Amino acid sequence: MASQLLEVKDLRKTYTNGFEAVKGVSFAVKKGEVFGILGPNGAGKTTTLEMIEGLRSISGGSVLLDGIDVQKHPYAVKERIGIQLQSSSFFQNLNLVELLRLFNDLYLESSDPLALLREVDLQDKAKYEVKQLSGGQKQRFSIATTLVNNPVAIFLDEPTTGLDPQARRNLWSLVRQIQQKGTTVIMTTHYMEEAQILCDRVAVMDEGKIIAQDTPEKLIRELLGRGFKPKQKVEPASLEDVFIDLTGKDLRD
Amino acid sequence: MKRTLISLWSLTIASNKMYFRNKAAIFFTMFVPIAFIGVFGLLSTSSGASLTLDVTNSSHSELSRGVVATLQGIKAFKVNQTTRADSSDKLGKGKIDLQVIIPEKFGQPGTDGQIAPSQIETYYNQAKPQNGQTANLILGQVISGINAKVSGTPQIVSLKSTGVKTNNLGAIDFLLPGILAISIMQLGIFSVAFAFVSLKTTGALKRIQATPTHPVNFIIAQAITRLIVGVLQVLILTGLGIWLFNFHLVGNLFEFLAVALLGVILFLAFGFAVAGYAKDENAAAPIANLVTFPMLFLSGTFFPRDAFPSWLSSVTDYFPLTYLADALRRIANEGAHLTALGTDLLGITIWGIIMFFVAVRVFRWE
Repeated sequence: MASQLLEVKDLRKTYTNGFEAVKGVSFAVKKGEVFGILGPNGAGKTTTLEMIEGLRSISGGSVLLDGIDVQKHPYAVKERIGIQLQSSSFFQNLNLVELLRLFNDLYLESSDPLALLREVDLQDKAKYEVKQLSGGQKQRFSIATTLVNNPVAIFLDEPTTGLDPQARRNLWSLVRQIQQKGTTVIMTTHYMEEAQILCDRVAVMDEGKIIAQDTPEKLIRELLGRGFKPKQKVEPASLEDVFIDLTGKDLRD
Repeated sequence: MKRTLISLWSLTIASNKMYFRNKAAIFFTMFVPIAFIGVFGLLSTSSGASLTLDVTNSSHSELSRGVVATLQGIKAFKVNQTTRADSSDKLGKGKIDLQVIIPEKFGQPGTDGQIAPSQIETYYNQAKPQNGQTANLILGQVISGINAKVSGTPQIVSLKSTGVKTNNLGAIDFLLPGILAISIMQLGIFSVAFAFVSLKTTGALKRIQATPTHPVNFIIAQAITRLIVGVLQVLILTGLGIWLFNFHLVGNLFEFLAVALLGVILFLAFGFAVAGYAKDENAAAPIANLVTFPMLFLSGTFFPRDAFPSWLSSVTDYFPLTYLADALRRIANEGAHLTALGTDLLGITIWGIIMFFVAVRVFRWE
């Protein structure tokens, strides 16, 4: 199927000490989708992503990205994708423009660093170092580095963990903006609200396996269809809505 | 190929910026060695003239008179000719730094008409070992100069000029190459181990691995930066030594630089072995210290190794820093050429190859 950008089949990771982090995971992501991998800590989300990205060796199964076998051609895959890691650390003593230029060279690209910074609303911070940025700014810069090579897909590993509600919403709109340009987004998160708002489809992982996979709406309908009743009465607004209403949507960083 | 070259160039630029914008790195690789040289330079200029030697010349050969004349010509020495009994007495009372005995047969032709091998004995004041050892070292240089002349090797001409220069050798001439060797060791081991381990623990290194560049390019870039810093260290420390403390670089500057760079490469292999093995800074620090500490004190950089018990002296013979310090010192003091430094260069090369394989074997990217 031409419209499948990513096909993961029976992917497995077994460490030398015998620990099975990923136990046979299969899913496919269509071109232009935002695909979410959800799960508690230690479910194997990051390991799965890193195997797809060519950062970690694959113990079993296969990954095809844009028709390329990751196991056989990890560098060809890396050329086509953008990767944001969980830690989002960069070289010290280099400012944002210098870092973007470096990434340009590493991809043999010549994207305009300032245009990239404008895209993530950091044009004022061009001469800043990463350590001078706030948490939300760091994540936005990290996303800017993934866009250097005009990737077909970007991978975001828990991009909003540790951010305040304003910064999180700001990142959501950035992800949508990237999606609108036709870039596929594959992300992990453990915020269900975020997944519900951003993701076209999600896969729920636990203990190295995918235990459910569909659109958020269908998964919710299925649950309700099984006669599920929420323990708490659901209010039409949440405390977060109150918080945003009180403090405003403006970014604080 | 194009990707490799562009990546390498860009990573080297980035690595240089990381290094030269890091004040702590500059402090430890540039200012600390300069401060060392400053302190020792001042100490040695103040005590330089007070090295007193008593020489007993029991031989009456031309060669022995030459030795005495050479010693008298050395500014750092106050030479007094006297009998063995008198000088022994003065040494016992701590009045002199070094007692020199030239034996009766010194420089006399043997039965075959050739000059027979003989030994100059020296005794130094153990209460002031540094003075005695410094005097001994200078004397050693004089003797090796004479040896070269006598053996009649083709190097005789170049060693003649050495003999003249030897006249001015002072403590700084022995200290500076040693301090330079130490700086090179610290540069290779500490600056790589800590910078690299921190990039490893923060995940900045992994971010580079997420690009289509081979991560080995980054290691090469880090190494190139250290080679540049190494050249700067040699030029700055040598320049300051010559300018401020009357240091003599008798040999060729380019040979001096070449040996220094070989030393940087050797200790980079150590540094990457430590950096590659250690999971975090807490693991890197003790390993780096364990490697450098014994060499710091036992490689004849601050303290001449002649004072060591013979077993320790023969163990420390094989220390990588011993080879490096010795090679630098012989170029600076004796004007030795690379061709004359076979043992040292071989020692450095063998250590470098061993540590390269150790580094490759123990390396972990995360």
